Amino acid sequence: MDGLHSWWEYVVGHGDDVLEATLEHAQITVVVVILATVFSVALGVCVQSRPTSKAIALAIASIFLTIPALALFALFIPLVGPGDNPAMMALFLYAILPILRNTVTGLDEVSPAVVESARGMGMSSAQRLWRVRLPLAWPLIMTGVRISTLLTVGIAAIAILVGGGGLGTFIQGGLTRLGLPNSVESVWVGTVFTVLLGLALDVVLSLVQRLTSSRGLRA
Amino acid sequence: MSEAVTPLTARWRHGRKHSVSTVAMPTGAQLWHRYSLVLAPAFIAGLGLVLWYYYNSLGVGTIAQIQVSSALDWETKLKPQLIQHLTIAAWSTLLVILVAVPLGVLLTRGGPRRIAPAVLAVANSGQALPAYGLLIIFLAAMGQGGRTVVVALVVYAILPVLRNTMVGLDGVDRSMLEAGRGMGMTRMQTLLRIELPLAVPVIVAGIRTAMVLNIGMATLAFLIGGGGLGITISSGLKLNQDAVLLVGAITVALVALTFDWFGALAERFLHPRGL
Amino acid sequence: MAGEPKIRLDHVSKIYQGAEGPAVAELTLDIDPGEILVLVGPSGCGKSTTLRLINRMIEPTSGRIYLDGDDVTDVNPDQLRRRIGYVIQQIGLFPHQTIAENVATVPKMLRWDRKRISTRVDELLELVGLDPRVYRDRYPKELSGGQAQRVGVARALGADPSIMLMDEPFGAIDPITRESLQNEFLRLQEELRKTIVFVTHDIDEAIKMGDRIAILGEQSVVHQADTPERILAYPVDDFVRSFIGAGTAMKGLAFERVGDLDLAPFDEGRNGDGKPVGTITADATLFEALEEMLRTADGKTVVVDESGRPAGVVELSHLSDALRTAQDEARRHYDELGAAS
Repeated sequence: MDGLHSWWEYVVGHGDDVLEATLEHAQITVVVVILATVFSVALGVCVQSRPTSKAIALAIASIFLTIPALALFALFIPLVGPGDNPAMMALFLYAILPILRNTVTGLDEVSPAVVESARGMGMSSAQRLWRVRLPLAWPLIMTGVRISTLLTVGIAAIAILVGGGGLGTFIQGGLTRLGLPNSVESVWVGTVFTVLLGLALDVVLSLVQRLTSSRGLRA
Repeated sequence: MSEAVTPLTARWRHGRKHSVSTVAMPTGAQLWHRYSLVLAPAFIAGLGLVLWYYYNSLGVGTIAQIQVSSALDWETKLKPQLIQHLTIAAWSTLLVILVAVPLGVLLTRGGPRRIAPAVLAVANSGQALPAYGLLIIFLAAMGQGGRTVVVALVVYAILPVLRNTMVGLDGVDRSMLEAGRGMGMTRMQTLLRIELPLAVPVIVAGIRTAMVLNIGMATLAFLIGGGGLGITISSGLKLNQDAVLLVGAITVALVALTFDWFGALAERFLHPRGL
Repeated sequence: MAGEPKIRLDHVSKIYQGAEGPAVAELTLDIDPGEILVLVGPSGCGKSTTLRLINRMIEPTSGRIYLDGDDVTDVNPDQLRRRIGYVIQQIGLFPHQTIAENVATVPKMLRWDRKRISTRVDELLELVGLDPRVYRDRYPKELSGGQAQRVGVARALGADPSIMLMDEPFGAIDPITRESLQNEFLRLQEELRKTIVFVTHDIDEAIKMGDRIAILGEQSVVHQADTPERILAYPVDDFVRSFIGAGTAMKGLAFERVGDLDLAPFDEGRNGDGKPVGTITADATLFEALEEMLRTADGKTVVVDESGRPAGVVELSHLSDALRTAQDEARRHYDELGAAS
């Protein structure tokens, strides 16, 4: 109880810093996820009908997701120097697989009869993509986006180790001052707010998912 | 790690019911899995070769590169770090299995079954939990050392195994259980002879995910005095030596990819025949 | 068969790469305006491929395709398909769109104005027997199989195409619903007079739906293309005979009406002996007359007029005579054809 109280005191006392770090963390996440979504959906559309390219794209994306975060972050430092940039590049690579995979699965699952009838009515391949295939795959794509977002929020907390910002600064700050007053509170703030940010973004995205998916597709 | 994508996917598709097939082997993904089995070792071999040549070109052991040399010395640095790294990952993965699988079994039976959806929801949103923060929290509570790292890793990696155990068991066709019970099997017998064998692919996928997470998180063990290959990456950052950074990062990547590939092989060969 | 055919396939072939022989070999077929031509044949004979060649869902390897006399073999296929209704067995409604949006698909692509589209959607839903006020805003998942295929037909009729291609449209629907959909569709066709190419593997459906039937063998070779009556009366070869199967004579009886016969006079003394005698009306088919004879185990049945008074008697000999006449007529027809060529 005492811990919770002092934690809350710390949050109130550092309100501006917490807000700023949260916003920075959110900004990193949102930028990364938007770029990853555009890239992965486009890539998914390109490779979906080609089994070999599809398998290779997915295999490569899963290789990225397997490489430990700190290592992948570090690999970009020689290229772009320390800061948010190497972190965002690595996070971008991480965020690809869930979206790419769900895009491909979503497009795979569109019933051939639906595509056949669209073609039979004279829809061009672009019309079939925009009006039929993507809208049908959309709920699953959005699920992928949500997973990528949670992943990105969590991993972005170590951006601080390569000189980036975000809520990791509170964790790092606590670590360097460990034993001194408020150090543990600082770590808790960084951790809890990261989770809260993830949940908040997930709630927002689930709303977006609901609003942008056709009522006809709900189970 | 990739299997982390499926449970939500399955949830979206079936509302509340999970099915084994969608979790274990999603539509159109068979080919991908086969490619992963072949592509991954090729990639690992290529990356290993690059690392080998790069490492040798650095002239480790010569006076000219004293900083780099001391940070990258095999006998005194890289080898013990590698051993520490793998030890941490192995212990935490083993403990995760010992805790999460029985817990998953328990949560899909009788009374506790009712809280299963809540547990799954937490497991899914737990993906936003920052490993870094968790590690430091345990450091503050338990002090420095490898033991702290292992405990933190177990807590962090328990979720995917727990989730996949529950989803895997839940996905077993009810009619098979009926049939088993109808032949006079006890509940324990249906669990051991029908449910668990059928859920194995999904559970193994979860264990693979946990193992990859553990290897990744062991990279951060250095922060709380647990050692591991993270030390080399961190030295590279501190010394501002790209060579040290790269060797550290690539080595960690190689370790993760190699063990992930072992996991992929295990997934493939632990499949019950006929599925 | 005077006048220009609505659709003409002129020596059309389809050869798939790596396949042994052509899927469709040198097919030549004319389809007249306003008729239902049924393509029927065993599975794998290429009847669906043939249908899909017409709207170029499958591009022909060689040969020409004409619509209203225009060569459409090389026109933009998307533009072409917007002029041709297309109905498939799996229906393929867009699950993310409402029924109204589904039906509006082609008019929207043709950039009709909103009001015109809306009126058209209501009109089409009425036409296929679905109340627009109830169904407009529903989604496909809320429909039964029969209702979904009604919407499929409405959607294909969207921009009022003069041609409809239907690939086993009622094949996946339960037998009872199928029967009523077939009847309704025939009633609809009375009004619409579309040119329809209809694929089925079911000879009974072909006999029921077709103004003409083309019986296709391997590689879409046309064994016989003619009215159902003539095909039943005079199958030109063993393939056709075995395909239309047993009961040919019985099926043929369904095409003639009792009213067209020269009935035997009704004799009160001979027929009014109190035994149960079957009665039918003049618009019954000979098939129904036979059914009645069999039911009453009598070699004849009485024809009654609207007020129930006996007008005459159909005897078994009438039926065999009718069949013989049909056969003779068909044989003469084919002899003339043979002589002409």
